[in-house]
Amino acid sequence: MGEAVALLAGGDAELYRIIGRTLAISAVATVLAMLVGVPLGYGLARGRFPGRTLLLGAVNTGMGMPPVVVGLVVWLLLTRSGPLGRWELIYTREAMVLAQFVIATPLVVGFTAASIQSLPAQLPDLLTSLGAGRLRKLWILSREARLGLLAAVMAGFGAIVSEVGASMTVGGNLRDSTRVLTTAIVTETSRGNLPVALALGGLLLALAFAVNLLLTLVQQRRNG
Amino acid sequence: MEVAVEGLRFSRSGRTVLDIPSLGFAGGSTTAVFGPNGSGKTTLLRLIGGLERPAAGAIRIGRAEVSRNSESRRHVGFAFQEAVFVGGTVRRNLDLALELRDVPPEERWARIAEAARECGIEAVLDRSARQLSSGEAQRANLARALALRAPLTLLDEPLTGIDRVARTQLLDDLPRMLATFAATTILVTHDREEAFRLADHLVVLAEGRVRAAGPKSVVYARPPDRMTAELLGYTVVEIAGRMLGVPAGAWALGNGDLWVDLLVERVVDMGNHLHAVGAAAGERVDVRLRIGDPVLVPGDRVRITPRTCVPVG
Repeated sequence: MGEAVALLAGGDAELYRIIGRTLAISAVATVLAMLVGVPLGYGLARGRFPGRTLLLGAVNTGMGMPPVVVGLVVWLLLTRSGPLGRWELIYTREAMVLAQFVIATPLVVGFTAASIQSLPAQLPDLLTSLGAGRLRKLWILSREARLGLLAAVMAGFGAIVSEVGASMTVGGNLRDSTRVLTTAIVTETSRGNLPVALALGGLLLALAFAVNLLLTLVQQRRNG
Repeated sequence: MEVAVEGLRFSRSGRTVLDIPSLGFAGGSTTAVFGPNGSGKTTLLRLIGGLERPAAGAIRIGRAEVSRNSESRRHVGFAFQEAVFVGGTVRRNLDLALELRDVPPEERWARIAEAARECGIEAVLDRSARQLSSGEAQRANLARALALRAPLTLLDEPLTGIDRVARTQLLDDLPRMLATFAATTILVTHDREEAFRLADHLVVLAEGRVRAAGPKSVVYARPPDRMTAELLGYTVVEIAGRMLGVPAGAWALGNGDLWVDLLVERVVDMGNHLHAVGAAAGERVDVRLRIGDPVLVPGDRVRITPRTCVPVG
């Protein structure tokens, strides 16, 4: 940790860029996962359609998907000779956002579905009868389910900020471009720079803690 | 605002739950849709409220046709059987309801105060809605629907699930509450007493079909069939080739113009009087015994007569 403090205090520009990049990539992926996952989770919780249970099972499986497998699939899609190869996204931050989005979305869907299902069953009907439109209803229900939704953010963000397999595979760990804290730890470890690797690990933990503390404070406000 | 139902059919998993060729609710009336559990009462209310889509047919509220995404919902104040609330105070729940109906903020405060006063929830207005007693919750639920001052008020089992004392009070207060806030009311109940005390019109529903509809005195005086008569509380017996409905408590020992034999099975001591219970004309009959009546024991056969009755069918 002393090493990390020294690096930070020493104003190591590269370290600051890595931290910024790590937060930015995972934050963008989390926001995208929320935008897609919250409506999906809502539909899964409230909808009555054939295959719903199967889909819930698939989502629950997806919540434990190994990041490295996601990385592999995204890599196969984005690689030069892959179906999306002409987008030239492989080894970019966008590719990492995509992979992290795929990892976080099932978590967001699962947590959202669970929190919506825990609301009173007639609440959506009540809002409909009062004249709330689709978006308004989703907004009010989200506010009612905010504890669960913030848990979804934390789970999603926590999972992707700390994963290394997918980021390494589709990002390539390019210095000054796609290197993030986790891949930097791998790099330093393989170089034998164990104190630096350990320091970066501590830093990652501290960052994850800071973000989750912030979200927990929001979550627990008015619920004391 | 009047409600018209035409050719309405609704099915759930292949089973027809409702089949109503034609039914009307007059503007300004209070109608109780009355029937046993599973008769389709709540489904009818949800269809009128635009929360379900019929398999066939149409419902009109005033001139607006009810469809699943229509404006007709805005004519309706709906109180569900289960009092559900968003998190926060009772005031917040009433405010949200008025906000969703585009009532301007400066008007909402007065409307909430009025509804709270008339519905007897002033004391709990700033308490958490999810921590109310069952009686308070039901009043808050009703206040939220009534505060909308909708042309059509729909109440689903407004007195179910609350304790006896609170129910008696609410049964007393509800007619005044409806008179203050509701123009036309349709309420659903499985309780005969509630239906008669709250409504002026009755719709008797059984197995998804309307058995009888009209002013309550007309429906009560002339039940069209045995099932309706029994739902209305009559014991239906065949005497001298006529189907008759005898209200509870109307049997007496003796020879009238009409009489049947009662085979006494039990004599029940009610504390200050006795009841003879047994079979007469194939029906279970309960006769209150009076001073001067002979002493009865199980196995006795006596003549009984209805002091009042109505023709059935």
